[in-house]
Amino acid sequence: MEQHQKSVARTPPTSTIAQRKSKSIGYRQSYHSCLSATSRLGLTSALTVRRLNTTRRTPKSHNITDKVNPEHLSLLVKTEWQLSYVTPLYQFRHTQLRSYSRQLSAFIAAEKQQGLAVEVEGLHSSFRVLFSVVQGLSESDDDPETVLIQIHSKPLFGKQDEPQKPIWSGWLTCINGNSEYLRSLPEDFTCLPLFGSNGSEDLTSAVKSWFKQTFDCCFGPLEISNTNLQWLVALWTNCHREYDIQYLKMIWTLPVVPPLQVSYTVNSTDAWDLWNSVRQEMRAGEDEAENVNSIDIEEVIHFFEGLKNHFYRHFRLDLSGGSLNHISSALGSAKLSGRIKIAYSRYMITTLTLLTECALLKMPV
Amino acid sequence: MAYPQNTSDSERSSLSDQSVSSRSFNRSLRVAEKKRRKDTAEDPFFLALKYFSDVEAGTPVTGNDELERNLVLVEKVAHSKGLSPEAISIMLEFAMSLRMGNSPCVRVLKCLIPASLVPQDAIVRGVVWLCVGKIPIATQVLFIKWVLTIFDLVDAKDQLRAIYGFIFSFITEENLCPFICHLLYLLTRKENVRVFRVRKLLELQSKLGRQPFLIHLLSLYKVFCPELVTLSIPSRMKSGFRNHNSTWKSVLTGVQKRNGFHIPSSVAFTIKDKTSSRKRKHCHLELPALTSVANKEAQTEQFSSKKVVPLVQLHSFSQLLENLHCIELPAQMGSLLGSTLALHYLDCVQDESALLRLNFWLGYAFHEEFLFCGDGGTTQNSEEALQFLNKLLSAQHFLQEGFSSSESFLYKFLKVWDGSLLCPQILALLSNIPVVPSSQIGTILFEPLMQLFLTSSLFFKCGLMECLNNMLLKWLTWHSVYALEDDLDISLNSHTSINMTLSGFKDSVMELVHFVGRLASVGLQLEGCHALLLSFILDFYETVCDTFQKYGLPLVIVPPPGVFYPALFATDPVSVDRLAYIMYRYKVNLMSAKSQEKLTKQAFHISRQTFCEFNQSLVVMVNCLWNSKMFNPGMAVQLGDELLLKSNVPQYWASFDLIHHPAFMSYAVDFHQKCWPERQDMDLSSIKHSKPWSWYLEYLFTQGYEGLKHFFQTNISQQMTAGDGQSNTQQK
Repeated sequence: MEQHQKSVARTPPTSTIAQRKSKSIGYRQSYHSCLSATSRLGLTSALTVRRLNTTRRTPKSHNITDKVNPEHLSLLVKTEWQLSYVTPLYQFRHTQLRSYSRQLSAFIAAEKQQGLAVEVEGLHSSFRVLFSVVQGLSESDDDPETVLIQIHSKPLFGKQDEPQKPIWSGWLTCINGNSEYLRSLPEDFTCLPLFGSNGSEDLTSAVKSWFKQTFDCCFGPLEISNTNLQWLVALWTNCHREYDIQYLKMIWTLPVVPPLQVSYTVNSTDAWDLWNSVRQEMRAGEDEAENVNSIDIEEVIHFFEGLKNHFYRHFRLDLSGGSLNHISSALGSAKLSGRIKIAYSRYMITTLTLLTECALLKMPV
Repeated sequence: MAYPQNTSDSERSSLSDQSVSSRSFNRSLRVAEKKRRKDTAEDPFFLALKYFSDVEAGTPVTGNDELERNLVLVEKVAHSKGLSPEAISIMLEFAMSLRMGNSPCVRVLKCLIPASLVPQDAIVRGVVWLCVGKIPIATQVLFIKWVLTIFDLVDAKDQLRAIYGFIFSFITEENLCPFICHLLYLLTRKENVRVFRVRKLLELQSKLGRQPFLIHLLSLYKVFCPELVTLSIPSRMKSGFRNHNSTWKSVLTGVQKRNGFHIPSSVAFTIKDKTSSRKRKHCHLELPALTSVANKEAQTEQFSSKKVVPLVQLHSFSQLLENLHCIELPAQMGSLLGSTLALHYLDCVQDESALLRLNFWLGYAFHEEFLFCGDGGTTQNSEEALQFLNKLLSAQHFLQEGFSSSESFLYKFLKVWDGSLLCPQILALLSNIPVVPSSQIGTILFEPLMQLFLTSSLFFKCGLMECLNNMLLKWLTWHSVYALEDDLDISLNSHTSINMTLSGFKDSVMELVHFVGRLASVGLQLEGCHALLLSFILDFYETVCDTFQKYGLPLVIVPPPGVFYPALFATDPVSVDRLAYIMYRYKVNLMSAKSQEKLTKQAFHISRQTFCEFNQSLVVMVNCLWNSKMFNPGMAVQLGDELLLKSNVPQYWASFDLIHHPAFMSYAVDFHQKCWPERQDMDLSSIKHSKPWSWYLEYLFTQGYEGLKHFFQTNISQQMTAGDGQSNTQQK
């Protein structure tokens, strides 16, 4: 559906933004304030719809290792993350991370032993939580700094002096978040809409409930839709010019009985050739220099049509009836269910930008 | 979650007698002295009290008939009338001092039934005797149990709070611990929660395990100081302490009832939902619990000087009012929806961020439940969704305002709604949406509603009509409130572009009324002018016809022919009567608009078109019902003469007057029979003669057709004879 929306509609028009930013108006104060499409209990206009971007910049290789602590970077890559979206955090302070670490570890200890009170200040908890800022992992000036959370614990039957091991990790980030949206939020809010977690379900839900209670936010699952998976494939393929993506693997599910799963792997150079031809065809009449840095949704659609046609020619099976579930290449992998793995850090900004956009689209207000 | 329940004590009321009560023990003797001198007949009960206050320590108990006699007397009085505050002081002092050993002490404690209040002093002295440490443990327990039982009757609690630390020290005594915890629970204030006490309790916890009394006290500590202690309460844990002595309690209530003294009972305002044990995959519809903010450091910078009271600690409306200036919002704003008390507060919250937090939560819940859920089926017949929406609706009803997140949700949801899922709730939510700018109203509201309307059942059509009527009513009410305040200053506001001006508002209302007119016309056609649908449509026009008079909105829109004619030719008299009433109100509105126009030059202008349309309808109605000139030339509905003749209807021009109108025919017949009971053949036309006609009208009006009566009185002049109605109905 989204792919046919040609309009390059970005997030809400400025007018509504101004509306929310406008200072709080007293209840029953003004005719205008009431009858403006907002009411007191609602500070935003409900009339605007955010849409997915239909044009994106081509991925650029980032020298991310120069900016981000390699230790942090090694924690972020090569792990599969389960994604969620998070509504803006209220009263979150990057300066309070030490205190958050203490509170969260006490909270987890209390959750683990239902009904047993836990002292917050006591540091002898069996769980050690570490909040840290991932310096440099942000693109625009409006992006709040990424926050990394690690939970360490002693193994259950470990020796006395055995060091604590990391058992859970997660992060909250916002890369190239829509600046109009970010600026429209009151200062008390920090928007880190993308949450990735890796570790046991129990701990994930404990961390989520602590965040909910502490920062009055909500967590919801973030799937990566078909369109977004296709976008990722196109963006990754486009990187082949600079970095060998080695292969491009896509898994489709076809709604037949019994369900049919099609695993479709394309050689990286073949994919690149197809992509290049699509690009050249689409850009035929246009100014080369101007458009070389952007990719249009039309090109993505054409690219996929090409891939599907090729498959049809060989196997007489039309993939457009099915849904794309899983993609992977040397740059990483992504699943419809919202699992993502980034294998190569130089292009992670591009991937995270797309995912931040998806998460922002899920924001209820 | 347990909450402190001690807050409803009679503290304030008794503050004035506090000085009295603090000296009551010493004074009691003097009072008794005076009383003795006054009373000529020696009161045996007084003598008994005197015995207990004067008796020497070490007096033998066994074989002491005097003691036995006095004790029995006190017991009798206690159980029948209860003991006065002075008597309580004397007896407690006697018992706790162990002047005559442990056994009378236990007996005395068991009969300490207060008649009205218990002096705080007596209890403080009791605690002092506890500290002496001679009393056997079982008796100590008995004493604390007694204090817990009569806690609400203690006249003041300030001194008890002052010795919080002493009371706390008894917590290490294993047998006393559950009762001390309960007492502390009743006494604890924020300033009592200290790190060392938390540590002590945690230490006890590690020794005794997860005891409910410790957990309750700790959870209260957590309410006050979440930064010191954290705790998750298992759902199966029972709430409340069970330390009351039931026999005491029943005797006490009996005595109190007899004395007509009312124990102030603590009424918790919070609605506590029975959390269902049923596991559910999604939990986004669960209201978060009301908890105070844990993360104080971040905020205290700006509030450090200000004392704040978390909303969790308030349990009554009066407390809310007292603390209104210093209430701290809960950690999760969504929790406000679960408590009526909190809703009262929400009504005065001005904080933009707080409302945004609420909207984030609410929008999230809506989206997850109704829009993002991939599996679809879970929402069908979901009891939880129903409860959630009902709760939200009652909150919106209470606040008389809709939440913007529910508004934005509705715009998305209308596009995918099947019109049946939670229909009454969704329609009720929809009727709460604020005014939509006319430029957008078509795409976001009318298009999806039109589709739903045309493809759904009669009952949905009726429901939607009702919803749109409520929506219009709310818009008009807003207008009348705000227009009054702003004194109709409608200069265009420049700094926010979507701010609405009066003309913008008028446009929106106009769009809505025209839209409903179209829906109604089509709907009546589709449903064969169903009387139920017609009734809902007339409801709507009852609102529309009064926009100027009732709500001060300078706008008059007359019903389209698709609504007017089905109502005029309806087979039930009620619809015709209501139409007459509506036309009467239109006339009143138009007349007053016109007179205002003359009075102040710049008053709004009602287009000629409106007057024309109205007059035409009026003429049709008068000609049809009164003048029997149904198809007169120049009227809106015209048929060729030949065609009418061909129809073979005799006197077709009279077939819709008040006598022959299908809705009123039965009345005409009835009237005819009453008027000329002896007549054999019925000639309804004879009613048309001037005298019986006016009697017939009177008869109709007495049948409750007020609408017709008003219509008649305003539109048809008194000297009316059949024929000149038309000239009277014309507007100038």
